[in-house]
Amino acid sequence: MRNAPRDAQATRKETAPRRTLYVICLTILFIAFTCVVTQDALANTPTIRLFPTTVVEDLKQTGNVARDMETGLQEVIGRLDQQQELYIESKCDGADGDAGCQRLARQIGSTYLEMLTIMEERLPDMEHTVNNTRNSLEKGLRNELGRKMTPWTLQETLVGNDASPATVQSAPALRGRSGMRLSERFKQYYTLVATSGAKGDQSLAVLASDIYLDMEETSQLIQRTRQEIARATLMEQLNQSFGIITPEMIEVVGGVKTILFGESDATAIVAGPPPGSLEQAYRSPLEQ
Amino acid sequence: MRTNLIIILAALFLASCASNTPDCSGPQSRNLATAIDEAQGALANGCHAHFDRYYDTLLGAGEGDPKPENKRAFSEFLVWSSDQGLLSTRQAQNYYNRYFNVKFMSLRGDYNNCSHTCPNKQKVLFDMERELSDKERGLLKVSLDNKGYYRADQLYHEVELVLEATCTACAAAR
Repeated sequence: MRNAPRDAQATRKETAPRRTLYVICLTILFIAFTCVVTQDALANTPTIRLFPTTVVEDLKQTGNVARDMETGLQEVIGRLDQQQELYIESKCDGADGDAGCQRLARQIGSTYLEMLTIMEERLPDMEHTVNNTRNSLEKGLRNELGRKMTPWTLQETLVGNDASPATVQSAPALRGRSGMRLSERFKQYYTLVATSGAKGDQSLAVLASDIYLDMEETSQLIQRTRQEIARATLMEQLNQSFGIITPEMIEVVGGVKTILFGESDATAIVAGPPPGSLEQAYRSPLEQ
Repeated sequence: MRTNLIIILAALFLASCASNTPDCSGPQSRNLATAIDEAQGALANGCHAHFDRYYDTLLGAGEGDPKPENKRAFSEFLVWSSDQGLLSTRQAQNYYNRYFNVKFMSLRGDYNNCSHTCPNKQKVLFDMERELSDKERGLLKVSLDNKGYYRADQLYHEVELVLEATCTACAAAR
Protein backbone atom coordinates (compact mmCIF):
# COMPACT_ATOMS: atom_id res chain seq x y z
CA MET A 1 0.00 0.00 0.00
CA ARG A 2 2.79 2.39 0.90
CA ASN A 3 4.48 1.67 -2.39
CA ALA A 4 1.37 2.50 -4.39
CA PRO A 5 2.19 6.18 -5.31
CA ARG A 6 5.69 5.18 -6.24
CA ASP A 7 4.28 2.42 -8.51
CA ALA A 8 1.90 4.84 -10.13
CA GLN A 9 4.73 7.27 -10.74
CA ALA A 10 6.83 4.49 -12.21
CA THR A 11 3.97 3.42 -14.48
CA ARG A 12 3.45 7.02 -15.60
CA LYS A 13 7.17 7.26 -16.35
CA GLU A 14 6.97 4.11 -18.42
CA THR A 15 3.83 5.11 -20.38
CA ALA A 16 5.01 8.62 -21.21
CA PRO A 17 7.61 7.56 -23.83
CA ARG A 18 5.17 5.00 -25.18
CA ARG A 19 2.52 7.69 -25.67
CA THR A 20 5.04 9.91 -27.42
CA LEU A 21 5.89 7.00 -29.68
CA TYR A 22 2.19 6.52 -30.46
CA VAL A 23 1.82 10.20 -31.31
CA ILE A 24 4.88 10.07 -33.56
CA CYS A 25 3.64 6.93 -35.29
CA LEU A 26 0.18 8.43 -35.78
CA THR A 27 1.68 11.65 -37.18
CA ILE A 28 3.85 9.66 -39.62
CA LEU A 29 0.83 7.63 -40.66
CA PHE A 30 -1.24 10.78 -41.15
CA ILE A 31 1.50 12.43 -43.25
CA ALA A 32 1.93 9.29 -45.33
CA PHE A 33 -1.82 9.09 -45.88
CA THR A 34 -2.01 12.77 -46.89
CA CYS A 35 0.87 12.28 -49.33
CA VAL A 36 -0.80 9.25 -50.92
CA VAL A 37 -4.14 11.06 -51.23
CA THR A 38 -2.51 14.19 -52.70
CA GLN A 39 -0.48 12.17 -55.19
CA ASP A 40 -3.56 10.23 -56.16
CA ALA A 41 -5.51 13.43 -56.69
CA LEU A 42 -2.70 14.86 -58.79
CA ALA A 43 -2.53 11.67 -60.82
CA ASN A 44 -6.26 11.89 -61.49
CA THR A 45 -6.05 15.50 -62.66
CA PRO A 46 -5.68 15.54 -66.43
CA THR A 47 -2.68 17.65 -67.31
CA ILE A 48 -1.95 18.86 -70.78
CA ARG A 49 1.60 19.40 -71.89
CA LEU A 50 1.43 22.44 -74.12
CA PHE A 51 4.44 24.39 -72.97
CA PRO A 52 7.67 22.41 -72.93
CA THR A 53 10.68 24.33 -71.62
CA THR A 54 11.88 24.91 -75.19
CA VAL A 55 8.81 27.08 -75.88
CA VAL A 56 9.52 29.22 -72.84
CA GLU A 57 13.11 29.69 -73.95
CA ASP A 58 12.08 30.39 -77.55
CA LEU A 59 9.64 33.05 -76.38
CA LYS A 60 12.33 34.72 -74.31
CA GLN A 61 14.76 34.69 -77.21
CA THR A 62 12.16 36.04 -79.66
CA GLY A 63 11.47 38.88 -77.23
CA ASN A 64 15.18 39.71 -77.08
CA VAL A 65 15.55 39.64 -80.87
CA ALA A 66 12.47 41.85 -81.23
CA ARG A 67 13.87 44.31 -78.69
CA ASP A 68 17.19 44.51 -80.53
CA MET A 69 15.40 45.16 -83.78
CA GLU A 70 13.25 47.85 -82.20
CA THR A 71 16.27 49.57 -80.67
CA GLY A 72 18.05 49.53 -84.01
CA LEU A 73 15.06 50.84 -85.89
CA GLN A 74 13.77 53.38 -83.41
CA GLU A 75 16.52 55.88 -84.13
CA VAL A 76 16.29 55.45 -87.91
CA ILE A 77 12.51 55.77 -87.94
CA GLY A 78 12.71 58.85 -85.70
CA ARG A 79 15.14 60.43 -88.16
CA LEU A 80 12.89 59.47 -91.06
CA ASP A 81 9.93 61.15 -89.36
CA GLN A 82 11.89 64.36 -88.87
CA GLN A 83 13.08 64.39 -92.48
CA GLN A 84 9.55 63.80 -93.72
CA GLU A 85 8.26 66.63 -91.55
CA LEU A 86 10.91 68.96 -92.93
CA TYR A 87 10.01 67.89 -96.47
CA ILE A 88 6.34 68.74 -95.90
CA GLU A 89 7.10 72.00 -94.06
CA SER A 90 9.36 73.08 -96.91
CA LYS A 91 6.42 72.53 -99.29
CA CYS A 92 8.54 70.12 -101.35
CA ASP A 93 5.56 67.99 -102.24
CA GLY A 94 5.18 68.49 -106.00
CA ALA A 95 8.24 70.75 -106.34
CA ASP A 96 10.20 68.23 -108.40
CA GLY A 97 12.55 70.72 -110.02
CA ASP A 98 13.81 72.27 -106.78
CA ALA A 99 17.41 71.24 -106.00
CA GLY A 100 17.03 71.59 -102.22
CA CYS A 101 13.92 69.42 -102.24
CA GLN A 102 15.68 66.81 -104.34
CA ARG A 103 18.52 66.69 -101.84
CA LEU A 104 16.03 66.30 -99.02
CA ALA A 105 14.26 63.52 -100.91
CA ARG A 106 17.57 61.72 -101.42
CA GLN A 107 18.29 61.97 -97.70
CA ILE A 108 14.91 60.48 -96.92
CA GLY A 109 15.53 57.72 -99.44
CA SER A 110 18.91 56.98 -97.91
CA THR A 111 17.44 56.73 -94.38
CA TYR A 112 14.72 54.51 -95.78
CA LEU A 113 17.36 52.21 -97.25
CA GLU A 114 19.10 52.17 -93.88
CA MET A 115 15.85 51.03 -92.28
CA LEU A 116 15.40 48.28 -94.87
CA THR A 117 18.98 47.08 -94.30
CA ILE A 118 18.53 46.85 -90.54
CA MET A 119 15.34 44.88 -91.04
CA GLU A 120 16.99 42.61 -93.57
CA GLU A 121 19.76 41.87 -91.09
CA ARG A 122 17.53 41.21 -88.09
CA LEU A 123 14.57 39.48 -89.67
CA PRO A 124 16.19 36.06 -90.28
CA ASP A 125 16.94 35.69 -86.52
CA MET A 126 13.45 36.78 -85.73
CA GLU A 127 11.96 34.39 -88.26
CA HIS A 128 14.02 31.52 -86.87
CA THR A 129 12.92 31.97 -83.24
CA VAL A 130 9.30 32.67 -84.19
CA ASN A 131 9.20 29.50 -86.30
CA ASN A 132 10.73 27.45 -83.50
CA THR A 133 8.09 28.64 -81.04
CA ARG A 134 5.35 28.05 -83.57
CA ASN A 135 6.53 24.51 -84.37
CA SER A 136 6.77 23.47 -80.71
CA LEU A 137 3.32 24.85 -79.96
CA GLU A 138 1.92 23.29 -83.10
CA LYS A 139 3.10 19.84 -82.05
CA GLY A 140 1.65 20.26 -78.57
CA LEU A 141 -1.70 21.52 -79.81
CA ARG A 142 -2.01 18.77 -82.42
CA ASN A 143 -1.20 15.97 -79.99
CA GLU A 144 -2.77 17.21 -76.76
CA LEU A 145 -5.89 19.01 -77.98
CA GLY A 146 -6.31 17.64 -81.49
CA ARG A 147 -5.63 13.93 -81.16
CA LYS A 148 -6.11 13.14 -77.46
CA MET A 149 -9.31 15.12 -76.96
CA THR A 150 -12.89 14.99 -78.21
CA PRO A 151 -14.83 18.25 -78.52
CA TRP A 152 -16.53 17.45 -75.21
CA THR A 153 -13.28 16.86 -73.29
CA LEU A 154 -11.86 20.01 -74.85
CA GLN A 155 -14.86 21.94 -73.58
CA GLU A 156 -14.47 20.43 -70.13
CA THR A 157 -10.82 21.45 -70.11
CA LEU A 158 -11.77 25.00 -71.00
CA VAL A 159 -14.54 25.19 -68.44
CA GLY A 160 -12.35 23.69 -65.71
CA ASN A 161 -13.68 21.91 -62.67
CA ASP A 162 -16.44 24.40 -62.09
CA ALA A 163 -18.18 26.60 -64.60
CA SER A 164 -18.10 29.56 -62.24
CA PRO A 165 -17.36 32.94 -63.78
CA ALA A 166 -14.44 33.39 -61.36
CA THR A 167 -12.28 31.41 -63.78
CA VAL A 168 -12.96 33.99 -66.47
CA GLN A 169 -11.07 36.66 -64.62
CA SER A 170 -7.93 34.55 -64.27
CA ALA A 171 -7.99 33.56 -67.93
CA PRO A 172 -5.52 35.40 -70.18
CA ALA A 173 -6.73 38.10 -72.49
CA LEU A 174 -7.58 36.97 -75.98
CA ARG A 175 -5.97 38.04 -79.21
CA GLY A 176 -5.71 41.57 -80.47
CA ARG A 177 -2.52 43.16 -79.25
CA SER A 178 -2.01 45.55 -82.11
CA GLY A 179 -1.45 48.43 -79.71
CA MET A 180 1.67 46.86 -78.23
CA ARG A 181 5.36 46.82 -79.04
CA LEU A 182 6.52 43.53 -80.51
CA SER A 183 9.10 42.99 -77.74
CA GLU A 184 6.48 43.83 -75.10
CA ARG A 185 4.14 41.31 -76.67
CA PHE A 186 6.73 38.54 -76.40
CA LYS A 187 7.70 39.65 -72.92
CA GLN A 188 4.07 39.36 -71.91
CA TYR A 189 3.82 35.92 -73.53
CA TYR A 190 6.94 34.82 -71.73
CA THR A 191 5.63 36.04 -68.37
CA LEU A 192 2.27 34.38 -68.97
CA VAL A 193 3.84 31.06 -69.94
CA ALA A 194 6.51 31.13 -67.25
CA THR A 195 3.89 31.71 -64.55
CA SER A 196 1.29 29.44 -66.12
CA GLY A 197 2.12 26.50 -63.83
CA ALA A 198 -0.19 27.81 -61.14
CA LYS A 199 -3.08 28.23 -63.54
CA GLY A 200 -5.43 25.51 -64.68
CA ASP A 201 -5.40 23.69 -67.99
CA GLN A 202 -8.22 25.90 -69.25
CA SER A 203 -5.94 28.97 -69.24
CA LEU A 204 -3.10 27.01 -70.83
CA ALA A 205 -5.19 25.83 -73.78
CA VAL A 206 -6.38 29.35 -74.55
CA LEU A 207 -2.94 30.82 -74.01
CA ALA A 208 -1.22 28.24 -76.23
CA SER A 209 -3.81 28.76 -78.98
CA ASP A 210 -3.48 32.49 -78.70
CA ILE A 211 0.31 32.47 -78.95
CA TYR A 212 0.35 29.83 -81.69
CA LEU A 213 -2.02 31.78 -83.97
CA ASP A 214 -0.03 34.94 -83.34
CA MET A 215 3.24 33.15 -84.19
CA GLU A 216 1.67 31.75 -87.34
CA GLU A 217 0.60 35.23 -88.45
CA THR A 218 3.94 36.78 -87.46
CA SER A 219 5.84 34.11 -89.34
CA GLN A 220 3.84 34.74 -92.51
CA LEU A 221 4.25 38.47 -92.07
CA ILE A 222 8.02 38.16 -91.68
CA GLN A 223 8.19 35.98 -94.77
CA ARG A 224 6.23 38.53 -96.81
CA THR A 225 8.24 41.42 -95.36
CA ARG A 226 11.54 39.79 -96.32
CA GLN A 227 10.34 39.37 -99.88
CA GLU A 228 9.14 42.97 -99.94
CA ILE A 229 12.41 44.29 -98.52
CA ALA A 230 14.41 42.81 -101.38
CA ARG A 231 12.09 44.43 -103.89
CA ALA A 232 11.84 47.77 -102.05
CA THR A 233 15.64 47.99 -101.68
CA LEU A 234 16.11 47.60 -105.41
CA MET A 235 13.42 50.18 -106.15
CA GLU A 236 14.89 52.66 -103.71
CA GLN A 237 18.38 52.26 -105.09
CA LEU A 238 16.95 53.24 -108.47
CA ASN A 239 14.97 56.13 -106.98
CA GLN A 240 18.05 57.46 -105.24
CA SER A 241 19.43 58.65 -108.53
CA PHE A 242 16.28 60.74 -109.14
CA GLY A 243 15.54 61.88 -105.57
CA ILE A 244 11.91 60.77 -105.49
CA ILE A 245 9.76 59.96 -102.48
CA THR A 246 7.20 57.34 -103.41
CA PRO A 247 3.91 56.89 -101.55
CA GLU A 248 4.95 53.24 -101.15
CA MET A 249 7.91 54.36 -99.04
CA ILE A 250 5.66 56.23 -96.63
CA GLU A 251 3.34 53.24 -96.52
CA VAL A 252 6.15 50.77 -95.72
CA VAL A 253 7.48 52.99 -92.94
CA GLY A 254 3.97 53.27 -91.52
CA GLY A 255 3.58 49.49 -91.68
CA VAL A 256 6.88 48.86 -89.89
CA LYS A 257 5.91 51.33 -87.15
CA THR A 258 2.60 49.57 -86.69
CA ILE A 259 4.17 46.11 -86.42
CA LEU A 260 7.05 47.06 -84.19
CA PHE A 261 5.72 49.81 -82.00
CA GLY A 262 1.95 49.22 -82.11
CA GLU A 263 -0.82 51.72 -82.57
CA SER A 264 -1.86 53.82 -79.65
CA ASP A 265 -5.51 54.18 -80.69
CA ALA A 266 -6.16 50.47 -81.15
CA THR A 267 -7.87 49.03 -78.09
CA ALA A 268 -9.01 45.47 -77.73
CA ILE A 269 -12.77 45.16 -77.69
CA VAL A 270 -13.90 43.14 -74.74
CA ALA A 271 -17.54 42.22 -74.33
CA GLY A 272 -18.82 43.35 -70.97
CA PRO A 273 -20.98 41.19 -68.76
CA PRO A 274 -24.71 41.65 -69.01
CA PRO A 275 -26.20 43.93 -66.35
CA GLY A 276 -26.93 42.59 -62.90
CA SER A 277 -25.27 39.76 -61.04
CA LEU A 278 -27.26 37.15 -59.18
CA GLU A 279 -25.66 34.28 -57.35
CA GLN A 280 -26.73 30.88 -58.66
CA ALA A 281 -26.64 27.92 -56.39
CA TYR A 282 -29.06 25.49 -57.98
CA ARG A 283 -27.63 22.47 -59.76
CA SER A 284 -30.00 20.27 -61.70
CA PRO A 285 -29.62 16.49 -61.63
CA LEU A 286 -29.74 16.74 -65.43
CA GLU A 287 -26.73 19.05 -65.57
CA GLN A 288 -23.61 17.65 -67.27
CA MET B 1 -85.24 0.34 -90.09
CA ARG B 2 -82.36 -1.82 -88.89
CA THR B 3 -79.95 -0.09 -91.30
CA ASN B 4 -80.95 3.29 -89.90
CA LEU B 5 -80.30 2.04 -86.39
CA ILE B 6 -76.84 0.81 -87.37
CA ILE B 7 -76.03 4.15 -88.99
CA ILE B 8 -77.18 6.05 -85.91
CA LEU B 9 -75.13 3.78 -83.63
CA ALA B 10 -72.05 4.17 -85.81
CA ALA B 11 -72.46 7.94 -85.82
CA LEU B 12 -72.80 7.95 -82.06
CA PHE B 13 -69.69 5.76 -81.74
CA LEU B 14 -67.67 8.08 -83.98
CA ALA B 15 -68.93 11.13 -82.11
CA SER B 16 -67.87 9.58 -78.82
CA CYS B 17 -64.42 8.94 -80.28
CA ALA B 18 -64.14 12.54 -81.44
CA SER B 19 -65.00 13.90 -78.03
CA ASN B 20 -62.09 11.86 -76.52
CA THR B 21 -59.43 13.59 -78.66
CA PRO B 22 -57.20 15.47 -76.20
CA ASP B 23 -56.94 19.21 -76.38
CA CYS B 24 -53.35 19.86 -77.34
CA SER B 25 -53.55 23.60 -77.78
CA GLY B 26 -50.88 24.03 -75.08
CA PRO B 27 -50.72 25.68 -71.66
CA GLN B 28 -52.74 28.89 -71.51
CA SER B 29 -51.55 30.25 -68.17
CA ARG B 30 -48.90 32.95 -68.02
CA ASN B 31 -47.82 31.67 -64.62
CA LEU B 32 -45.00 29.15 -65.00
CA ALA B 33 -46.06 26.77 -62.21
CA THR B 34 -49.64 26.64 -63.50
CA ALA B 35 -48.45 26.37 -67.09
CA ILE B 36 -46.25 23.40 -66.11
CA ASP B 37 -49.25 21.72 -64.40
CA GLU B 38 -51.35 22.24 -67.53
CA ALA B 39 -48.56 20.93 -69.74
CA GLN B 40 -48.07 17.85 -67.58
CA GLY B 41 -51.83 17.14 -67.70
CA ALA B 42 -51.94 17.45 -71.47
CA LEU B 43 -48.71 15.52 -72.06
CA ALA B 44 -49.90 12.66 -69.87
CA ASN B 45 -53.14 12.59 -71.87
CA GLY B 46 -51.69 11.94 -75.26
CA CYS B 47 -50.22 15.27 -76.37
CA HIS B 48 -46.61 14.09 -76.12
CA ALA B 49 -46.11 14.63 -79.85
CA HIS B 50 -46.33 18.35 -79.13
CA PHE B 51 -43.54 18.33 -76.53
CA ASP B 52 -41.32 20.81 -78.38
CA ARG B 53 -44.13 23.35 -78.70
CA TYR B 54 -45.09 22.91 -75.05
CA TYR B 55 -41.50 23.41 -73.93
CA ASP B 56 -41.31 26.57 -75.99
CA THR B 57 -44.56 27.86 -74.47
CA LEU B 58 -43.22 27.13 -70.99
CA LEU B 59 -40.05 29.06 -71.77
CA GLY B 60 -42.27 31.94 -72.85
CA ALA B 61 -44.09 31.76 -69.51
CA GLY B 62 -40.73 31.71 -67.71
CA GLU B 63 -39.62 34.81 -69.62
CA GLY B 64 -42.76 36.56 -68.36
CA ASP B 65 -41.69 36.03 -64.76
CA PRO B 66 -37.90 35.59 -64.79
CA LYS B 67 -36.28 34.36 -61.57
CA PRO B 68 -33.45 31.97 -60.57
CA GLU B 69 -35.94 29.39 -59.24
CA ASN B 70 -37.27 28.82 -62.76
CA LYS B 71 -34.21 26.66 -63.44
CA ARG B 72 -35.36 24.18 -60.84
CA ALA B 73 -38.93 24.25 -62.19
CA PHE B 74 -37.70 23.34 -65.68
CA SER B 75 -35.36 20.69 -64.33
CA GLU B 76 -38.18 19.07 -62.35
CA PHE B 77 -40.50 19.22 -65.36
CA LEU B 78 -37.89 17.47 -67.51
CA VAL B 79 -37.15 14.85 -64.87
CA TRP B 80 -40.91 14.21 -64.68
CA SER B 81 -41.07 13.93 -68.49
CA SER B 82 -38.24 11.43 -68.39
CA ASP B 83 -39.87 9.43 -65.58
CA GLN B 84 -43.13 9.35 -67.54
CA GLY B 85 -41.29 7.95 -70.54
CA LEU B 86 -42.06 11.00 -72.69
CA LEU B 87 -38.35 11.67 -73.10
CA SER B 88 -35.25 9.52 -72.79
CA THR B 89 -32.74 10.58 -70.14
CA ARG B 90 -30.43 11.83 -72.87
CA GLN B 91 -33.21 13.91 -74.45
CA ALA B 92 -34.09 15.39 -71.04
CA GLN B 93 -30.42 16.26 -70.48
CA ASN B 94 -30.30 17.87 -73.90
CA TYR B 95 -33.39 19.99 -73.26
CA TYR B 96 -32.05 21.14 -69.90
CA ASN B 97 -28.40 21.75 -70.75
CA ARG B 98 -29.09 23.48 -74.04
CA TYR B 99 -31.00 26.23 -72.22
CA PHE B 100 -29.80 26.24 -68.63
CA ASN B 101 -26.17 25.08 -68.56
CA VAL B 102 -22.97 26.86 -69.50
CA LYS B 103 -21.62 23.86 -71.43
CA PHE B 104 -22.52 23.39 -75.07
CA MET B 105 -24.37 20.26 -76.10
CA SER B 106 -23.29 20.98 -79.70
CA LEU B 107 -19.81 19.84 -78.65
CA ARG B 108 -20.89 16.29 -77.93
CA GLY B 109 -18.82 13.81 -79.87
CA ASP B 110 -16.84 10.62 -79.36
CA TYR B 111 -14.08 11.16 -81.92
CA ASN B 112 -10.99 13.28 -81.62
CA ASN B 113 -10.87 16.88 -82.75
CA CYS B 114 -8.38 16.41 -85.59
CA SER B 115 -10.41 13.70 -87.27
CA HIS B 116 -13.96 14.82 -86.55
CA THR B 117 -14.36 18.37 -85.26
CA CYS B 118 -11.91 20.11 -87.59
CA PRO B 119 -13.47 18.91 -90.87
CA ASN B 120 -16.84 20.17 -89.57
CA LYS B 121 -15.55 23.23 -87.74
CA GLN B 122 -17.87 25.73 -89.40
CA LYS B 123 -20.94 23.63 -88.68
CA VAL B 124 -19.89 23.07 -85.07
CA LEU B 125 -19.43 26.80 -84.55
CA PHE B 126 -22.72 27.56 -86.26
CA ASP B 127 -24.52 25.06 -83.99
CA MET B 128 -22.82 26.58 -80.96
CA GLU B 129 -23.94 30.03 -81.99
CA ARG B 130 -27.53 28.83 -82.20
CA GLU B 131 -27.20 27.14 -78.84
CA LEU B 132 -25.81 30.34 -77.37
CA SER B 133 -29.01 32.12 -78.34
CA ASP B 134 -30.99 29.36 -76.57
CA LYS B 135 -28.79 29.86 -73.53
CA GLU B 136 -29.50 33.56 -73.71
CA ARG B 137 -33.17 32.68 -73.43
CA GLY B 138 -32.80 30.05 -70.71
CA LEU B 139 -30.00 31.47 -68.57
CA LEU B 140 -30.56 35.16 -69.05
CA LYS B 141 -34.24 35.73 -69.83
CA VAL B 142 -35.85 32.89 -67.89
CA SER B 143 -33.59 32.36 -64.88
CA LEU B 144 -31.69 35.68 -64.62
CA ASP B 145 -28.38 33.83 -64.47
CA ASN B 146 -26.35 36.65 -65.99
CA LYS B 147 -23.01 35.28 -64.87
CA GLY B 148 -23.81 31.88 -66.34
CA TYR B 149 -24.71 33.41 -69.68
CA TYR B 150 -21.59 35.55 -69.68
CA ARG B 151 -19.48 32.45 -69.00
CA ALA B 152 -21.21 30.60 -71.87
CA ASP B 153 -20.51 33.52 -74.20
CA GLN B 154 -16.88 33.55 -73.07
CA LEU B 155 -16.66 29.78 -73.53
CA TYR B 156 -18.00 30.12 -77.08
CA HIS B 157 -15.19 32.57 -77.92
CA GLU B 158 -12.57 30.39 -76.23
CA VAL B 159 -13.70 27.31 -78.15
CA GLU B 160 -13.63 29.32 -81.38
CA LEU B 161 -10.04 30.41 -80.70
CA VAL B 162 -8.78 27.03 -79.48
CA LEU B 163 -10.41 25.20 -82.39
CA GLU B 164 -8.92 27.62 -84.88
CA ALA B 165 -5.45 26.98 -83.45
CA THR B 166 -5.92 23.23 -83.01
CA CYS B 167 -7.31 22.75 -86.51
CA THR B 168 -4.49 24.82 -88.03
CA ALA B 169 -2.02 22.61 -86.12
CA CYS B 170 -3.82 19.44 -87.24
CA ALA B 171 -3.72 20.56 -90.88
CA ALA B 172 -0.06 21.62 -90.82
CA ALA B 173 2.34 18.95 -91.99
CA ARG B 174 5.68 20.38 -90.99
